[in-house]
Amino acid sequence: MEALLKLENVGKRYGGVDASGVRKEVRALDDVSLTIYPRSTLALVGPSGSGKSTLALCMALLEPMSSGKIWFEGTEITNLPERQRRAVRSNIQMVFQDPVSSLNPRMTALELVMEPLRVQKRGDHRAQRGKAGDLLERVGLRGEKLNERPSEFSGGQRQRIAIARALALEPKLLILDEALSALDCSVQAQIVNLLFELQASLALTYVFITHDMAMAAHLADEIAVMDHGRVVEMGVVARIVNGPQHAVTQRLLAAARGIDNVADAPRPVQ
Amino acid sequence: MSFLLRRLLQAIFLLIGVSILTFLFSTLAPGNYLDEMRLNPQISAATLASLRAQYDLNRPLPFRYARWVNAVAHGELGYSFAYNGPVAPLLWIRARNTLLLTLTAMLLAWALALPLGIWSAERRGHLPDRAISLATATLMVVPELVLALGLLILAARSGWFPTGGMVSVGFAELSRWGKLRDLAMHMALPVAALVLSALPILVRHIRAAVAEELGAPFFRAATAHGIPRRKLLYRYALRAAANPMISLFGFSVGTLLSASLLVEMVMSWPGLGPLLLEAILARDLYVVIGGVLFSTIFLVCGNFLGDLLLYWADPRIRTAGGAR
Amino acid sequence: MDRRRVRRWFVALLVLHAVVGGAGFLAPYDPVKQDREHAYLPPMRVHFLGRGHLHLRPFFYAERLREGTFDEFEEDTEKAIPLRFFSTGEQYRLLGFLPSRRHLFGAEGARLYLLGSDGLGRDQLSRMLYGGQISLLAGLLGAGGTIFVAAMIGTVAGFYGGWRDTLLMRLAELFLALPWLYLLFALRAFLPLTVSPLRAFLLVVVVLAAVGWARPARLVRGVVLSVKERDFVRAARGFGAGDAYLVRRHILPETRSVLLTQAAILVPQFVLAEMTLSFIGLGIPEPVPSWGNLLAILQQYSVLVSYWWMYLPALAIVPFFVGYQGLANALHVDGVTVKIEGKRGGTHHDIGTRFSPAQTD
Repeated sequence: MEALLKLENVGKRYGGVDASGVRKEVRALDDVSLTIYPRSTLALVGPSGSGKSTLALCMALLEPMSSGKIWFEGTEITNLPERQRRAVRSNIQMVFQDPVSSLNPRMTALELVMEPLRVQKRGDHRAQRGKAGDLLERVGLRGEKLNERPSEFSGGQRQRIAIARALALEPKLLILDEALSALDCSVQAQIVNLLFELQASLALTYVFITHDMAMAAHLADEIAVMDHGRVVEMGVVARIVNGPQHAVTQRLLAAARGIDNVADAPRPVQ
Repeated sequence: MSFLLRRLLQAIFLLIGVSILTFLFSTLAPGNYLDEMRLNPQISAATLASLRAQYDLNRPLPFRYARWVNAVAHGELGYSFAYNGPVAPLLWIRARNTLLLTLTAMLLAWALALPLGIWSAERRGHLPDRAISLATATLMVVPELVLALGLLILAARSGWFPTGGMVSVGFAELSRWGKLRDLAMHMALPVAALVLSALPILVRHIRAAVAEELGAPFFRAATAHGIPRRKLLYRYALRAAANPMISLFGFSVGTLLSASLLVEMVMSWPGLGPLLLEAILARDLYVVIGGVLFSTIFLVCGNFLGDLLLYWADPRIRTAGGAR
Repeated sequence: MDRRRVRRWFVALLVLHAVVGGAGFLAPYDPVKQDREHAYLPPMRVHFLGRGHLHLRPFFYAERLREGTFDEFEEDTEKAIPLRFFSTGEQYRLLGFLPSRRHLFGAEGARLYLLGSDGLGRDQLSRMLYGGQISLLAGLLGAGGTIFVAAMIGTVAGFYGGWRDTLLMRLAELFLALPWLYLLFALRAFLPLTVSPLRAFLLVVVVLAAVGWARPARLVRGVVLSVKERDFVRAARGFGAGDAYLVRRHILPETRSVLLTQAAILVPQFVLAEMTLSFIGLGIPEPVPSWGNLLAILQQYSVLVSYWWMYLPALAIVPFFVGYQGLANALHVDGVTVKIEGKRGGTHHDIGTRFSPAQTD
């Protein structure tokens, strides 16, 4: 099967100044290589600062990479000029962590979901409206509320709007950056169900960014563990959960299971 | 230390920038200055020729600028076409007069604002505070021009104060005391205008700063300990409120300088303001440039002074090493 | 932000501007029309009581020269002239295009100088009203131009960052450090000294716009910087939106409140700047009246001493200051504290706004 998205030796550097005024280079990403297959779900797990969000932004073509290459469906998209990028963008969409900041508070739900269609000039106004309405209904938001601004919705509903918006351009790959972290457990469960259902019916591929190993295990087929900008361990869920190799993986698992002593965590298979 | 150094460098860069800017503006003037002067019968052709040679007014701009900077470094600020003499001495006298006015006004304004502001803060919510608030609010809506003109009319109609100039005609013959009195009478109006225009902002700032400290927990604790009111006020509240007040000080120098331009013009006080205006109307290039430069220097010095005071007063700035 | 308070001040300002805008109707006479027989007339009184009984229609007495003097006037009690309301007088154009002859009040036989007359016998009231049109227009246009320039510069600096940002902000710092008024004068003076009134007006507006852009630009830049990083801008980029779209649709709307508050501060500053320029002769030239050149005559000592009513135009701007200050305060603006807070980290106090072109910041 052909890979949907492939990253090779991706690196990202920031120049910066640290606390004492010394100029320092920050390596947000260091030699990351990943392959994502269609209709699968990959979870990117790691502690804060591990670079998972940066990787997500690079995958979504929202941040330029300092080094490395990236392919989409076999075509290299690393340094594409913006015009051609625009076409690729419709295939990779992102749902952000905080719906309060990712939805323009001055726009209504309908306008928000219509925006991608307007930017890419798909269909006339009426068609766009219809499509947006359908999408919102798909994610469980009904008619009358569609002309309200995000402030009128609950957290879970806002994420639904964000998801509907992300689906507007019919992407093949959906990146969800800690998209569930800001919601309560019960709402999380609802959204997760929605996401599974959408994946099945729309043949989507997901990349989940999270710091919660338990959630990753629940949602994903494969898990990639990140630490300090590198992918330290990667594999099928079962393997990672039952036989973690890397210390970071073990720590994350321990945290997820609520076990304080890492020593009590499952030992790596010898 | 690095804080001060950085500020100093900024100030220097600012001055350089300003000088370039004003020099540039001069080139926008349509027509060659010397051409205009040619129409002036008082200036002979020989003078014109030497001036042209001396100032190379036909040379490219950067060259002229460099030459001018060089001259300034040697204390020579050019030639005034209108006054027929070097610019520097002209500017110095006028600058002195402006400083006299501005510094007096500044001292007076602060001398009045401090007690008023503190009193306001102490009695906040009560009659003194309300009355002062009303007064400052009223003053704030009266622009300097209106204020200055109003004072001028009052003086003219009542005859209590002279309405222009710095000294009377027979100044040189007066006694020491008489001279002082004469000067003071002439200064009264412009200083009053400047003080009245600066007062509202100062009073409000001081009031706000002190009121904030008076309401702070540490202050309440000190009061609870039974520390006498006077000591409380000066030792604690003012100390704490010093920081914003010092910033205000440095800042108010600048605004007073600018306000003085207007007041000087309206009240015919022989400072930089009227000189600048005359020079502008007479197209006296080097005087204008010199004048703008001088005022900018004052401004920058005022701000730097404020920075110095802040540095001295606030230990935080010292220890932070200037890191933002 | 208390919307009701804002609205009240806005309405108050609207009324004030309407009064000036309706100068044609409200002013009894043409501001340029001279009457040298009645130069420097003090304000005339309107009477209701005459010859022992009350009149319903107010009236006034014509003025005549007092015996033996040639510049003192007194009321000629023989000549009582009734005041007419909504009378026909000289033609004017309301708002610049509607021709009309109807004035709020007028009289036959003599002129009523409610606020006195100037050295050429022109009615001060009319001149004040018409002058206000010019001064306010200069202020509004100047402020509008400045806001526009500031929005553009601030957006470019904040959005693109890099060398553009550094260059523009250094330039802004430079302009802010220069004494406002000095720069204004210098700029104005290096342009041709004597020009037609229209050109002078445009020059004043351009000069005002060129000088005041620095602070609003910095504020806009601040807003743009923070909005730029918001996720909804990122998301729009993810849809393939270009820079122009992002700026237009997402970023600029966020700058609206900053720009509005800056406008409320700038308009009166600019009106005052025009007044100052015209006062010293670098602004609107005669015979077009503006509040500034109406005051220019006060530079003569004789006028200062004898003709106090020539000062009245100076007071005309005060209600506007009150209005704009009220509006700015209602929009929660600190005029002066911005610099102190930003540069030195002192405490942030809301002390209201002080309008003065002599302020350097």
